[in-house]
Amino acid sequence: MTTATVDFASVFEIAQVVFAAMVDGDEGLLVPRDDGDDSDDDGAGAGIADPVMSWVEVHGPYSGRTAVITGAETAHALVRALLGDGDAPVTDADLVDAFGEIANVVGGNVKALLPGQGTLGLPKVATSLPPTADPLVLTLRLAWRGEPLDIAVWLTQEEEGGNR
Amino acid sequence: MRALVIDDSRVMRRIVAGNLHTLGFETFEAADGQEALDLLAAGEQADLACVDWNMPVMDGLTFVTKVRADPELRGMTLMMVTTESEQSQIVRALAAGAHEYLIKPFTPDAIREKLEWLGLVPVGEHV
Repeated sequence: MTTATVDFASVFEIAQVVFAAMVDGDEGLLVPRDDGDDSDDDGAGAGIADPVMSWVEVHGPYSGRTAVITGAETAHALVRALLGDGDAPVTDADLVDAFGEIANVVGGNVKALLPGQGTLGLPKVATSLPPTADPLVLTLRLAWRGEPLDIAVWLTQEEEGGNR
Repeated sequence: MRALVIDDSRVMRRIVAGNLHTLGFETFEAADGQEALDLLAAGEQADLACVDWNMPVMDGLTFVTKVRADPELRGMTLMMVTTESEQSQIVRALAAGAHEYLIKPFTPDAIREKLEWLGLVPVGEHV
């Protein structure tokens, strides 16, 4: 599998740009947590209480998904920041729309790191991720405004003819 | 100037429309390509359409193709605003008839520069 371009530095750069452009208006509020890259430990979202996940799937030369995982309170704070609504309550529709769009933009740019032309699915939001046969290749352990937030990438290179 | 913002994400429509308002546009919105076509068929007019690529019901590339096939909509400028950032996708969109291509995430300066290039915003007019 050729996933050399999907590494901590490239995905972190994408995430920083996305959060700066869409959420914070400035860079620096999304930073590595601890040593940042813990792809060998308990998996994406481990240790995040009351987690909420948003993800997009990619199909084509590669199959897989990119997910953004954080605690529910932090997800709501992210949505409020994105909507610019101050302390207004976040509805489920807002959460699905805005938190999903963050995964969509991060995942779309991660897809661009991969060779070949894949297709991106529509974003989904839930409190758990559906099972996948694709291996977890990268977990970014980050903090946004001091709260834990993981970005994880699962990828499998499809064999020629579309079979794994 | 009127702009039609087409995106299945309400928050993204809000972000795009907010940038366009700052640049002097009046905006209206659709959640997918079919809804946008329906609005245009009902008589809504737009000088510019900002179109997401991946949407349910009708995606942005299909919308662009259908608009380009309709002589009555030939005067509308089409700008894809999408996460699809591979060169091959950009070529596909431009070949289908999009005039410009803006990759998400974008900054206010990036959208202004694209619209300046398209002649829809005076060059150097920083609001």
